[in-house]
Formats: sequence, C-alpha cells, structure tokens
Amino acid sequence: MKTIFLVDDSATILLSISNILAKAGYGVEKAGNAAEALKKFQAGVKVDLLITDLNMPGMNGIEFIREVRKLPNYRFMPILFLTTESQQSKKVEAKAAGASGWIVKPASADELLNTIKLVMR
Amino acid sequence: MDEITTVFVTESREQLAALEAALLQLESDPEDDDTLNAVFRSAHTIKGGAGVVECDFIVAFTHVVENALDKLRNGEIKLNVDLVALLLACSDHIGNLLGVLEAGTPDPDAELAAEGMALLARLQRDWIDDKPAGGLSRSGPPSPREEPVQSSGGGEVETDCWHISLRFGPDVLRNGMDPLSFLRYLASIGRIVRLETIADAMPDADAMDPEACYLGFEISFASTADKAAIERVFDFVSDDCTLHILPPHSKLADYVSLVLALPEDTMRLGEILVRVGALTQSELEAGLRTQQEPGETADDTIGGAQQTPLGEILVDQQVVQPELVEAAVVKQKQVQDKKVAESRLIRIQADKLDTLIDLVGELVIAGASVHLLAGKSGLGDLVEASSLTSRLVESIRDAALQLRMVQIGETFNRFNRVVRDVSLELGKDIELAISGGDTELDKSMVEKIGDPLMHLVRNAMDHGIEAPDVRVANGKPARGRLELNAYHDSGSIVIEVVDDGGGLKRERIIAKAVERGIIQPGQTLTDSEIYNLIFEAGFSTVEQVSNLSGRGVGMDVVRRNIQSLRGTVDVSSTAGEGSRFAIRLPLTLAIIDGFLVGIGRAAYVIPLDSVVECIELNQGEDVRDYVNLRGEVLPFVRLREMFEVPGAAPPRQNVVVVQYAGLKAGIVVDQLMGEFQTVIKPLGSIFRHIKGIGGSTILGSGEVALILDVQALVKRCAANANQGAERLQIESVTR
Repeated sequence: MKTIFLVDDSATILLSISNILAKAGYGVEKAGNAAEALKKFQAGVKVDLLITDLNMPGMNGIEFIREVRKLPNYRFMPILFLTTESQQSKKVEAKAAGASGWIVKPASADELLNTIKLVMR
Repeated sequence: MDEITTVFVTESREQLAALEAALLQLESDPEDDDTLNAVFRSAHTIKGGAGVVECDFIVAFTHVVENALDKLRNGEIKLNVDLVALLLACSDHIGNLLGVLEAGTPDPDAELAAEGMALLARLQRDWIDDKPAGGLSRSGPPSPREEPVQSSGGGEVETDCWHISLRFGPDVLRNGMDPLSFLRYLASIGRIVRLETIADAMPDADAMDPEACYLGFEISFASTADKAAIERVFDFVSDDCTLHILPPHSKLADYVSLVLALPEDTMRLGEILVRVGALTQSELEAGLRTQQEPGETADDTIGGAQQTPLGEILVDQQVVQPELVEAAVVKQKQVQDKKVAESRLIRIQADKLDTLIDLVGELVIAGASVHLLAGKSGLGDLVEASSLTSRLVESIRDAALQLRMVQIGETFNRFNRVVRDVSLELGKDIELAISGGDTELDKSMVEKIGDPLMHLVRNAMDHGIEAPDVRVANGKPARGRLELNAYHDSGSIVIEVVDDGGGLKRERIIAKAVERGIIQPGQTLTDSEIYNLIFEAGFSTVEQVSNLSGRGVGMDVVRRNIQSLRGTVDVSSTAGEGSRFAIRLPLTLAIIDGFLVGIGRAAYVIPLDSVVECIELNQGEDVRDYVNLRGEVLPFVRLREMFEVPGAAPPRQNVVVVQYAGLKAGIVVDQLMGEFQTVIKPLGSIFRHIKGIGGSTILGSGEVALILDVQALVKRCAANANQGAERLQIESVTR
C-alpha cells in the first residue's frame, strides 16, 4: 500500500483529504504543521508522496519542503502542494524549493486522485 | 452534522477569533506584515474548509473578503479604521453563517443574506473595485505576457495540428516526475498525432547520470484545447523543461525560430519536424533559406532564445531570482523565530475528559482505602508499595486535572472587541489593558466565567468610566482605562476588572439600599460592606437603564453565577479613582489536596491551599474567640460548637490557621490527621443553605467527610475581628 503524508494547518482539510485518500486505498500520515511533519521525516517515516499546504503558520510550506529535500531519503519523493488561485505566484517559488506539482484547492476527489497518480510511479 | 462539518465549524470559530484579534492589532499597527498575513490566512483557511464541506454561502462570502485582504496584503489598498470596522463586521457575518451551517439550515434566511450582500457590496465598491492605490501600491502587476516570436517572411504552414517541442531538464526525475505521465495527461485533452523522441542530449555511457533526464519530444498534437490548456499540462515541470508550443497554421518563420531556439542540430531538427508532420520538406527548406539570409540576426536569435526561453519559462526565471528567494528564506526564518512554535494539539471531546477525571476521582478514593488497609495490616512491604501507588495516583490526578486547564487569555482577548465596540457606542475613549492571560483555570470555569465577566466589563464602561469631558474636568486623561487581570493567590484564581472611573457612589448606594429595604436606615456599615451591597438582589443605582449594562440582569446574577462556581466576587472602590471587581475562583472543581481534621468521631477536610499553619491551643486561651498569633489578632471558630458536635473537647486542641483573600482565621479542631487527597462530591440540595460546608468527600475507610468552606468561616471570623483587636490592645496594655 502506498502511503501519503498530508500536512495542513486546517483540520477540515486534513480530515477531508485523508478521508478521500483512505477511501482510494492509500495509507495516510498526517501532521497539523510543518515542524511536526519535519520531525516525522527526520525520524524516517516511510511515505511515497508528500502533500503539503503552502501557507501555514510557523514554518511555511516552501521552507518546509526545502528542509525535506535536504534529507537524503526524501530527495526523490514526489511532493505536491496544496494551493489556491490566490497563491499562484507561489508556485514558482515552491517548485524551486523542490515541489513536483500542486493541487488547487478545493479539489474534487477525482482531481486530487488524478494528480496524485500523475506524480506517483 | 457530519464529522467534517463539526470540525470545520469548530476550526472556523477559532480562526474567526484569531482573525478578529489580528484585525484589532492591525488597527494599532497597520504595517505589521505578519499580522496581516495571519488575517489573510484565517480567512483563507475558513474559505478552504467551507469549500471542502461544500458550504457555498460561506465560500462565496469569504471569497470576497479574501480578495479584499489580498489587495491589502499586496499593498494595493491601505488599512484604515473604516476598513477594520467593515472587516470586523464581515467576520461577525461569517460567524453568523457558521451558525446557519451548524443549525443545518440549507441557506441563510433573507435578513442574514441581505446583510451579507450589503457588506459585500460595500467591500466591493469601496475597496476592491479599482480603489486608487495608496502609497504602498506597486506600479501595476509585472506583465509576464510572452512576446510572440514575430518574424517577417514565410507563409502559413499547412497543418491542423499544434506543434509541441518539449525538452525535459536534467532534474525532472530527481524531482519525482515521470516524463511519460505528462504525455499521458496530454493525450487526455487531445490526440497525439505523431511523436518523436529526441535523445540527442544523452551523453556517452560513462558520462551519463542515471538519475538525470535527457529526454525530449517533438509532438504533433490535434486538439481543440487552447494554448493555455496545453501549457497547463506541463505546469508541474514548467521550470524544468523547455516548452515551445506552436498553434496550428503558424507562420513558417515561427517554426524556423523554434528550430533555431532548440538545442539540437538545426538540420536534424528540421528533419524531425518533417517526420512529425509539422512541416513538409519544401517548407523546411524555404524556411531555413529565408532565415539564413540575414545571417547575423539568426545568430542573435539562437543566443537570445537560449538564454531567455519563451513563455512561462521566461516568467519563471524572472521571478526565481536567487536574491529574492534568499531574502524570502531569511524573512521566513525571522517570522519563525519570532512566533512561538505552535504547540501540537489533539482534539478530544470534553466528556471523554470528564469521564477520565471521574475515574481518577474513584481511583483516588480506592487508593486511599488500599493505603488505609495496608497501614492496618502492619506489613512493611505492603505499606511501602501502597505509598508508591498513592504517589503515582497523585501524579495521575494532577496530570488529569491539568488536561482540563486552559489559559484565560482567549476569554480575555474577546474583550478587545467588546471594549472597542462599546466605547464607540458610548462615545467614550477607553483602552483595555490585559495582564495574566496565561493564567490557567479549569475549562468548565472558563466557559462559565465569560458572562459574568462581560457584565462587569460593560458595567465598568457604562457606569464606571466617565465621559471624556467629565474626565478632563476632573483632571484625568480623557482616555479611560480598563484592566483585566488574572493571577493565582493562595489556591484560588483571581480575575479582576479594574476601571479608573468615578468609583462607586457610597451615599447613593446607602440611599438605594434603604429604599429597597436591603438595610435599615441608620445601620452602620464598613465601606466594603456598603460597596458589596450592589450584589444584593434587585439593586440598581442608575435610574436610566441603558441598553448596555441594564438588561434586567443585576449584579446579583453575576454573584450567583460566580458562586455556582464555588467562587466569590468582591468590589472595592475609591471615589474619583475607580473601582476594582475581584472574582475569586477555586483552581479546580473536581479534586483538591485536603487537610484532614477530626472533631469527636467526625472528620472534616480543609482545602490544603488555604492552610497556613497549625498551632496548639493552650488551655488558658480557649475562653476567648481569638488568640495572639505572634502579635497578630487571630480570631477563630470552634467547629465543635459550630457544628454542635456532642461530647466535651479534649484537653489539647489545635488551631488550623487558614487564609482567604488576605484574611486569616483559626479553626479549632480536636485532632490533626494530615494531608488527604479529596475528591469533591457536591452536597445534596437540602444541605445547600448550610453555611461553612462546601461539599463532601469519601475517606479511604468509606466514611463521609465534610469539606469546610473556608471562605465562609473566614468571613464569620473577620466579622468579630475588629472587636477582638480592640480587646487584644486593652489586654496588652493591662499586662
């Protein structure tokens, strides 16, 4: 089973996306902020894809994936970030930090799963 | 409501509170980017969540608010008092909408909807639609429009297909992207007519890096999709690939520019284009010929195109200037260091916690019984083991109770808004100072203290603090000051509402109390007693009931609410300088450390927090109701007398010295039995009226012990204190 790591400061988003993913047969790891997630990564959590929010209090998504990419085990893990139309300009910055792609939220379950399939081999 | 909606409503309410707090902060410091970002994020999170739970009316409303905030964040509009007021109103409206969602109604009612429309209209008209930018605005958005490759010469190429030239960058695989997946995705919006794989970038085997991507594609693509849609397919790799898209029927010259812009050998590419079907052989030859004629321009095109690729890639590269990214990183670091790391939180239902606390209470009682039996058994090992268990149970108890403790700061912060709104309404200028927001108290108390506190605050603003002109006339600053303080004081939590207004009117209170028959005319009372009359039922000194504090709810209700939390409320006041309302609450409602004392065969518990010391009552001293405690008058009560316990007092009695709200008193008991963890069980309603008893508990032996209400006992003693002090003075003179 493929495991997806989900990071978002919004409990609503965390819950809804993890429901969709679990229903689609993915294992889900969750964290409510970047620092918490980073700890899990540093501890070597086994995941196949990371989906993270961009605008989070504390460490933001870009800073976060930059840190994740520094860890040797996660250099090739696909990373998708959750974004909204209002954050389009952030895409470039996020890509530079190591993101593979993005999901515009709110995304339908189909959009979400299709995008995930696109980046997961 | 389903689970997600519940989570959403709870979360959004928290976000609204944060949004409101941040807006108020912005009002005083409009340039604070972090706060502005926090405001934006709150609105954004609410909108995002609303989208997830498919609550369209919240999405629609919040969307416009978010737009305004976005403009604000980008410096296109400037924050002022009007905008803050409008945004606060919007925040209230979102709160109302959440209420609609919570109630399960499909849509807000007409009134609420109209209110929402009015707010949005104002927001849209005054702030979003081309509001002339303030000084901070940037000079229009950068125009990332791609420059079409315009070149003279050549006719149109005869093909109905798009032509896509795609060269993946070396990092594509490393970034976790599968080149093939893009082609699959591309195929989902049209038909790939022909496709050629370009592997020219592949180096010799020994120089090849297996992690790098050397692939490129030339694609002939039939689709009704527009260029933007095709570009979107490659969004994820936009800065990791070179992408050229030529629409159907492009000018031949465009193809030529394309060929020259691509890294592969010109002739070979030309052949590929022919093979893909984009060009015919003759078209290619014609094109290359025209291009070669103005030779040096061709060279320029190659160099220029290589360095600044077209379209989005160009934009990407413009934006990703290393300095900018670097600056952003530094900035993020600062923000991060400044903000306290957000602690990890787990949400649990409150009743699960209550069950845990109840169980811990039972555990404490059971543990006490084990400890008692172990002591009786005389087995040393068993006593030791049970002591250890008791210690652990104590830690568990503290930890469990700690779970319910929340900071009062959140409750206090709500008042920022209240004070702001009410002072506007009253035409008074009032600042609110908060201290001790990190003081913790039981969650159930935090919930219940809000209303009484609100009443006291409104009261202080309405009746306490004078109008600005009156203040100035009295030589005070025009701006009134209201304080909310919280702190710990000998086992209680004290919450104070302090104003610097005119203070309570002593004479008017007396007159009113006499009129209402609360006191007898000519009765002598201390100042403190007079001021506290305002808590008596049916007392109100203001004839004109304003729409603020006089809502038919008097101060007596405030006192009743606080008493139901086993707390007290007191007022002190200085004419012309202000008043201070102090609410005193117990730390917890469930389990306390008690001090077990005995009278005759009965046991009583005194809350340990209030115990100061224990002294022996010498036989000669017990004829009076006070002792000389190192030169201090210590009035005391005899529990034996008070509770009418039968039997004579033993020759040696003890005085437990207790303290409450700065007053000391003694409680005379027969025996001191030591500390005891006390699980508070409420008394039945028939015992409610008994003064001096606050509850009951169960001892390890299974017997019931009554918990003394120290506050009531101290008050009773204090009433005699003045008398006692006089007598003590006379005594020391006569000695």
